[in-house]
Amino acid sequence: MNDTRERNHHKAGLSRRDFLRTSGAAAATAAALAEAPPALAEEAPAKIVAKAIGPEPIKLTLDVNDAAMTTHVEPRVTLLDALRNYLDVTGCKRVCDRGTCGACTVMVDGKPIYSCTMLALEAEGKKIKTAESLIDGGKLDAVPAAFAKHDAQQCGFCTPGFVVAMRAAFDKNPNATPAEIEEALSGNICRCGTYQQMRDAIAALCKNQRKGD
Amino acid sequence: MATSWPKKRRLIGSKIQRLDGPAKAAGKAKYSYDINRKGMLHAVLLRSPHAHAKIKSLDSGDAEKMPGVKAVYAIKKAGDELFWAGEEILALAADNEEHALDAVRAVKIEYIVLPHLVKEEDALKNDPQTVSAMGGKRNNVQPAMEAASGGFEKGMADAAVTVEGSYGVPTVCHQCLESHGLVAEWGADGGLTVWASTQAVTGTAVALAQYFSGKYKLDLPANKVKCITHYMGGGFGSKFGPDIQGLVAAELARQAQAPVKLMLDRASEITAGGCRPSAYGKVRVGAAKDGKVTAYEVDCYGTAGTQASATVTFNALPYVYPFEYKRKHTRIRTNAQVQRAMRAPNHPQNCALTEFILDDLAAKLGMDPMQLRLKNLPQNDLEKAKTAPHSLDALKNTIYTREIEIAAALSKWKDKWHPPGKTAGVVKHGIGMALHTWGGQATPQRNECTVIITADGSVTARTSTQDLGTGQRTVTALITAEILGLEPEQIALQFGESPNGASSGSGGSTTIPSQAPATLRAATAARDELFAKIAPKLESKAEDLSIEHGKVVNRSKGKSWSWKDACSRLGDEQVKATGFWTIGESLKPENKDVSSSGVGGVQIAEVMVDTETGVVRCTQIVAVQDCGLVVNPLTCESQVAGGVIMGLNYALFEERIMDRVTGRQVNPDMEFYKLGGIEDMPKIIVHLHDMPERGVIGVGEPPVISTHAAIGNAIFNAIGARVPHTPFTPERVLAALAAKGGNK
Repeated sequence: MNDTRERNHHKAGLSRRDFLRTSGAAAATAAALAEAPPALAEEAPAKIVAKAIGPEPIKLTLDVNDAAMTTHVEPRVTLLDALRNYLDVTGCKRVCDRGTCGACTVMVDGKPIYSCTMLALEAEGKKIKTAESLIDGGKLDAVPAAFAKHDAQQCGFCTPGFVVAMRAAFDKNPNATPAEIEEALSGNICRCGTYQQMRDAIAALCKNQRKGD
Repeated sequence: MATSWPKKRRLIGSKIQRLDGPAKAAGKAKYSYDINRKGMLHAVLLRSPHAHAKIKSLDSGDAEKMPGVKAVYAIKKAGDELFWAGEEILALAADNEEHALDAVRAVKIEYIVLPHLVKEEDALKNDPQTVSAMGGKRNNVQPAMEAASGGFEKGMADAAVTVEGSYGVPTVCHQCLESHGLVAEWGADGGLTVWASTQAVTGTAVALAQYFSGKYKLDLPANKVKCITHYMGGGFGSKFGPDIQGLVAAELARQAQAPVKLMLDRASEITAGGCRPSAYGKVRVGAAKDGKVTAYEVDCYGTAGTQASATVTFNALPYVYPFEYKRKHTRIRTNAQVQRAMRAPNHPQNCALTEFILDDLAAKLGMDPMQLRLKNLPQNDLEKAKTAPHSLDALKNTIYTREIEIAAALSKWKDKWHPPGKTAGVVKHGIGMALHTWGGQATPQRNECTVIITADGSVTARTSTQDLGTGQRTVTALITAEILGLEPEQIALQFGESPNGASSGSGGSTTIPSQAPATLRAATAARDELFAKIAPKLESKAEDLSIEHGKVVNRSKGKSWSWKDACSRLGDEQVKATGFWTIGESLKPENKDVSSSGVGGVQIAEVMVDTETGVVRCTQIVAVQDCGLVVNPLTCESQVAGGVIMGLNYALFEERIMDRVTGRQVNPDMEFYKLGGIEDMPKIIVHLHDMPERGVIGVGEPPVISTHAAIGNAIFNAIGARVPHTPFTPERVLAALAAKGGNK
């Protein structure tokens, strides 16, 4: 991958590290700092003069479901909003928008994260996978297929978040027990009440995984 | 022509997978929230931070100059009074959401803050007139509703024992995961298209047409407004019509001449997107020594926010049981959002105000509460049985008795029930039960479905009705496929778009009893039209033709043609037939037992209560539910289990908490407004008590009603102390134990 070097050469592009040096913390994204904060500057080479970024939009290229997607967003825009509002990738849903409900779960470099709690520019250079990556033409990944087969969804608005979290849990441990999968889903909330059917899906998936050993 | 369900059923009654399952699970289904139109603006609402205030000044001049702002629409003006925190004041649309949020912060507004009351007990005691005038007067407390049956006084006087208690349930919020809102776009022809998160596709289109044609004298008949709802992320009774945010989004779109998306943020969804009203009351029952209740008395109150609605179903108190009664209900207006219908409106409140005290009574009598319930069940109405043998009135005793038997066997009640609080140890087991009822009949409004067959054998079923996640889409396909001898996947669906024909809103569990018969009629008429058109080409008489799985058959000639082959005889013709249904149709003698009304339902809950921490864990719920003819047992079971889970959330987690000082809700979020996760869930055993002879009845609402009462009674059985109010939090469990004198 050539992305890191290219991004750092780009006028408005910043690595996550540069970004942190500049703004100090995710909460201070809009702050225009002329110099790096002292505490962080200690580890920085002396000559680097940190660039202020924002509040104007910056060019951003994200690797979403194996496709490079480019847009312009303000630095304060979350990964969730960049995906949904700027890139029309809407499998991740906005529900609580503050890291409680899990409807916005996506995989970032294979780890399930709440995309509402990550800035879009923090995700640059990482591999982002949303629920849409789990269907290829008509071929459905085993996890969403089990949700469909066992009717583990009603309105379906929370479902892609659950599906991604469960896919990530099986990727991490293909021999996970149902209890371990349930634990991995404990950061997701469903309102229609599909947990009983989700358990049926989990039982079937765990059994199939064991057979596949 | 008479309508009836086919006697031999290949698909109806079988577990058929949801057709939109893969699209939803893989994030491909586009909800209203997911619609992104070219050049679309994002809108944000400014809401009142005060529970009661007057707008002193309102100036959006600076906001209009903010980057990206394209339209501003003032809902309120200086001098207007605001009656709840969250009330809508102004909306604006900008090129992106970030700009819209910045701009709304630049609106200059000054308030004259006025006194408010947000707690029922405060508003009940005081009358400082914090709410708008009603009948010329500003009153928090509305005149009480009161009624009594003729035999009440004698019943209470004759009682061998009496029991009293106070019980209640708080206001809870719908908490739809897809928030309320829509995308509005005006077309070059002057028409309006909206992608709305709604339970009423046609109703939303009609309401928008009326609003705009009335306000601006536009030529905007309902057929020039198109409402699209392909997928809907939860409504539970809170999403009928465009709402204020829908009208405002369309106003902004009109002003800016660009599509506008306005979806509520989470805090707004909770504080303004709907809530179930509270109900608290004193209840007293009298009974004979054998457990037969002789009289029931309730004096209850609740708040529906600024509105003066009843918060119980007054005429259904007592609930389910036909006791002699005296009832009183006081409606309290508070400075909070107006209630909205929530999954079986007011029935959970009625259930709590009836079912809790029955277990307290059973304990006083030393009885098994299941036996006490069996003694007090309503009787079958023998007169009704003559004219309507499949009506709930005719079958009440039969249905409840049978459902209790089934639930008792599935839960092993006889082995598990013990006298309340009479088990050793710190963590105590308890088991409890409750009953419920609901209607679920077709609507008076017309519901239509159209089935189209073309010469290549393809079949389309078209309807405007919405699938809220109930599985209605799949039901439409499977009924069409049943009649035409096909598979559900072979039916192309055109769903959830207002131009597709008449339909009613999905409320009251009315969708399947309204839509399924319309589909049955459309598919049957299409089949008959197909036979009429192709019979000459098959050298058959139309009446000799019939459908078998995948083919058209002439039995008298012993000949058959594959479906495709048969349809190809249509040549350049096509078949198109529309069926409709209403409650009126269902009541015609020739259409009996196609759809009907009235269900029972029994739930038995088990809990483990930690008497040191007060933590309640629900371990199992058995839900026995009838709903007439079960069309798709897979999605029907999902509805029942989902209702149980929502009821469990009411029991253990959900409560809107209002702050007395600021008048705002302190938990308009998902971390402090709690909903259970998968690890909080009990084992749920659903038993569908199939009664196909009754026809189709809706089931969306009934399973939610009695769960919290069953859990409350299970806690009482575990610890021998009544926790009077939901949610049954550790704090409340410990308080109940302390009041009883500890874990004895």
